[in-house]
Amino acid sequence: MRIVDRDREQDARFTRRALILAAGQAAAIGALGVRLYDLQVLNGAAQAALGEDNRTRTIWIPAMRGRILTTTGEVLADSRESFRAVLYPRRGFTATDAARIVAELAPLLRLSPAASDAIVARARGQRTPIILSETLTFDDVAALQVTSSEALDVVIEPAWQRIYPPLAPAHSVAMAHIVGHVGAVDRVSVDDEPYLRRPGARIGKTGVEAGLEADLRGVAGRRVYEIDARSRHVRRLEDRAPIAGQDVTLTIDMALQTAALEALVAADDRGGIVVLDVANGHVLALASSPSFDAADLRGPDAAAAWKRLKANSERPLLNRATAGQYPPASTFKIVTALAALEAGQIAPAERIDCPGSVTYAGHTFRCWNRAGHGPSDLHKAMRESCDCYFYEAARRTGIERIAAMAREFGLGEHHDVGLTPQSAGLMPTPAWKRARSRTGWLLGETILAGIGQGYVLATPLQLAVMAARVATGRKVAPTIRQLPPGERPAQFEPLPVSESGLDVVRRALVAVVNEDGGTGSAAAVEAGGDRRRVVVAGKTGTSQVARASADRDRTATLKRGLRDHAVFVAYAPAEAPRFAIAVLLENAGNGGAEAGPVVKRMLEVATGLAAKPTRAAGQSGRDGDGGDDDSDDAPAGRRR
Amino acid sequence: MTDIRQTRTEAEGILARLARLPWLLLTTLTLVAAFGTAALYSVSGGSFEPWAQRHASRFAVALPVAIILALVPLRMVSALAWPAYALALGLVVAVPLVGVEALGARRWLQIGGLSLQPVEIMKVTLVLALARLFSGVGERGASRPDVVLAAVALVAVPAVLVIRQPDLGSGLLLVGVGLAVMFLAGVSLWYFVAGMAAVAVALPIAATMLHDYQRRRIEVFLDPDRDPLGAGYHIAQARIALGSGGWSGQGFGQGAQTQLDFVPEKTTDFIFVAIGEEMGFLGGATLLGLYALAVALTAMLAIRARDPFARLVAGGTGAMLAIYVVINIGMVTGLVPVVGVPLPLVSYGGTAMTTLMVAYGLAMATATDRGRR
Repeated sequence: MRIVDRDREQDARFTRRALILAAGQAAAIGALGVRLYDLQVLNGAAQAALGEDNRTRTIWIPAMRGRILTTTGEVLADSRESFRAVLYPRRGFTATDAARIVAELAPLLRLSPAASDAIVARARGQRTPIILSETLTFDDVAALQVTSSEALDVVIEPAWQRIYPPLAPAHSVAMAHIVGHVGAVDRVSVDDEPYLRRPGARIGKTGVEAGLEADLRGVAGRRVYEIDARSRHVRRLEDRAPIAGQDVTLTIDMALQTAALEALVAADDRGGIVVLDVANGHVLALASSPSFDAADLRGPDAAAAWKRLKANSERPLLNRATAGQYPPASTFKIVTALAALEAGQIAPAERIDCPGSVTYAGHTFRCWNRAGHGPSDLHKAMRESCDCYFYEAARRTGIERIAAMAREFGLGEHHDVGLTPQSAGLMPTPAWKRARSRTGWLLGETILAGIGQGYVLATPLQLAVMAARVATGRKVAPTIRQLPPGERPAQFEPLPVSESGLDVVRRALVAVVNEDGGTGSAAAVEAGGDRRRVVVAGKTGTSQVARASADRDRTATLKRGLRDHAVFVAYAPAEAPRFAIAVLLENAGNGGAEAGPVVKRMLEVATGLAAKPTRAAGQSGRDGDGGDDDSDDAPAGRRR
Repeated sequence: MTDIRQTRTEAEGILARLARLPWLLLTTLTLVAAFGTAALYSVSGGSFEPWAQRHASRFAVALPVAIILALVPLRMVSALAWPAYALALGLVVAVPLVGVEALGARRWLQIGGLSLQPVEIMKVTLVLALARLFSGVGERGASRPDVVLAAVALVAVPAVLVIRQPDLGSGLLLVGVGLAVMFLAGVSLWYFVAGMAAVAVALPIAATMLHDYQRRRIEVFLDPDRDPLGAGYHIAQARIALGSGGWSGQGFGQGAQTQLDFVPEKTTDFIFVAIGEEMGFLGGATLLGLYALAVALTAMLAIRARDPFARLVAGGTGAMLAIYVVINIGMVTGLVPVVGVPLPLVSYGGTAMTTLMVAYGLAMATATDRGRR
């Protein structure tokens, strides 16, 4: 019996161990199944994509970049075909391989020893393609293909070079901010075209090059090859031709543009000027000072020049016309007035007293005229830029309505104008303030906003848009690009303001420039000679930079950086507007006195042009100053 | 109840003996081989040449061989255990002395016109020898120190020689099978614990003895992406190809990675990648299922056998199959460092198939000899 029992026990133990072992094996196989599931089902798509990358090689064929032209057909930026040699290191590529290839090709590619070393250093164990040379001519390519034995690894690809034809220095300086430049793509997001990830891809960085990048770039073509594990081309999978970028014609009027820059330079001021055609929103001039000669950045000393410009404390690289943000000051009263009228908070005939200062919520707010304007209606208050009137108007209307109206007139937002960089300015609201600080909106902030100070910020471009919208009553949208032929211009929507309200404000704006007591009389274009008199309507602004005490005289005794900015927005001719203009002179002082003459000069040039018959395309635009055959009567723009 | 049970004599009919063979297990193994044939057909781009046809023919020979071997009486197998092991060991020793060198390794012997790999013979005879050893001393004796030492020696001597060929995969297989048989034989678990401790201590030392390429394989296994163009290449490619199979694969003959040669050893060690890429998870899981079934059926074969020798032979054979599968597919999916181990009955290459079928033949011979319980 014992033997039998022992047998049974042994059997049982064996069975147990056998089952344990079997279970262990099954578990191991099960784990494999799980791993398989993970790899294939959960991550299958990712692996498949890697597989695609593995077995295909994509060669991008860049599209020829569109040119940038002026209205007269002058070429500001051009594209030229070239070829480049790209090294596609295959698996297992070593530094020796790289050195061998570079040594063989260096004379053909005209590589300097430094460049050769750099290439060899980069090629170590990498799979990313390396550009050997980007400026090959057709002859270079022919020579390469005959002599190169490394045909598998070095591929010749089409490329383009951006060429900026030399301009007259005046034009080169005037257009520097506008044309901009192209440069390497420095950050690629996953949404970007895969073409941008290719080495040497270039993209517009500033100016129109960046703003109209989508139109200029075109669509890259590509050839996709299937390759095997030894990087041999097995077959061609796809062959898509590139679509060339569109040429872009700017709306800039060169005469006006150079006049604008001259005016800024002559005033020895930093600042920006924007002139718009109110009918179609075309940007006729967009100048920023100080500017620079774009040619310097393309010459042999480009790097040094760039460094110099960046270090310059005057910040010449900043495009003040689109990116400079300043308090609009009294020019903002246009918005406040319209907001108050639309909200029914003021009547045009209503008189509000201006004793020189008012007190709200325990704070004193002064008028620029310490003596006060006395009781004033809207017309007088606008004409003489009475602060107290607008404090009251703002208080009654409330910040939300004012902000909404400002938006309608183009303040506080980006415009699709076609160049960068662009700032959006700032139209503050209680929501905005809540998001940034713990305190709530204060009444005093509404009051300050009413006269365009406080948090309110605007760029010269936005101010010009505001002027254009007041002039036409429509939502004029600025653009620097001429529509391609055949495309119909969009109609601008009417603004949600009553015609009567606009009418009152417009008449007041005419008064600013043309009536006694108006702050903008320096902008009046006088009758003289055989020139028609052009009625200018506008608004001055003196943008406070430093808080001044009651007794301090806000003039030249202040350090320059603390002086007020001079602002002026205007449009002309008042009865049938064609041009809108905004002039902003940093730290120049009084708006009317300093910016007014610039406005006058610009409008003279602008309307003088309009009187001339249109130039035929193809004629050179280099007429230098003014562009008129009849010389000007008054040498405007010289002040200080 | 040995006195009641009827002892079947060797004179019983062959047919009766055949009837007792584990036909389900044989069918399963045949299905696996068929799967392998299909995979090789697919890898060659939809053709029976040059691999699929040869593979099928080999199995068509190996299967009857296994069945014939299954008719051998247990006593004969048991008697042959020691001589067979001695022969195998002699051949393994001979390899570094007179062996043929190929691909940087010495694994083959040329005898007359035949070339054979002694390690394959060793795999089978080791199982026999260990089974003989433990069945001789009984379960109580299994935990005796001298017995355990003898078992370790039986495993270690050939294992070390094999690893130095170098053939790490086969060496690991020998060790794995040896441990499995020792476990089944009833060796006290404390020995295993002590063994693991000893391994933990010896591992760093062993690591220095590894060949460079073997060490790199382990490093690369731990972090394949660190060297995507070098040693990690195979792993990365295998993973990509396998993963891209998705749920149902890219289709027969259409696996881009394998067809374009991105996966090396695609007909041998990495065949599972082709299966995964072209038949997807469904295909791979089916094959895994077949292997799992085979392992389970082998375990049942072992449990039902009465004779201790038979149980250990069958158990050892099942362990061999399982270890092959786990190491190979583990390697291909990146869970295990790359060691050259074929996928049994699927990888192209005759010796592994032959060895396994011979082992199964002997397992069946012993396990079905005295009748099942």
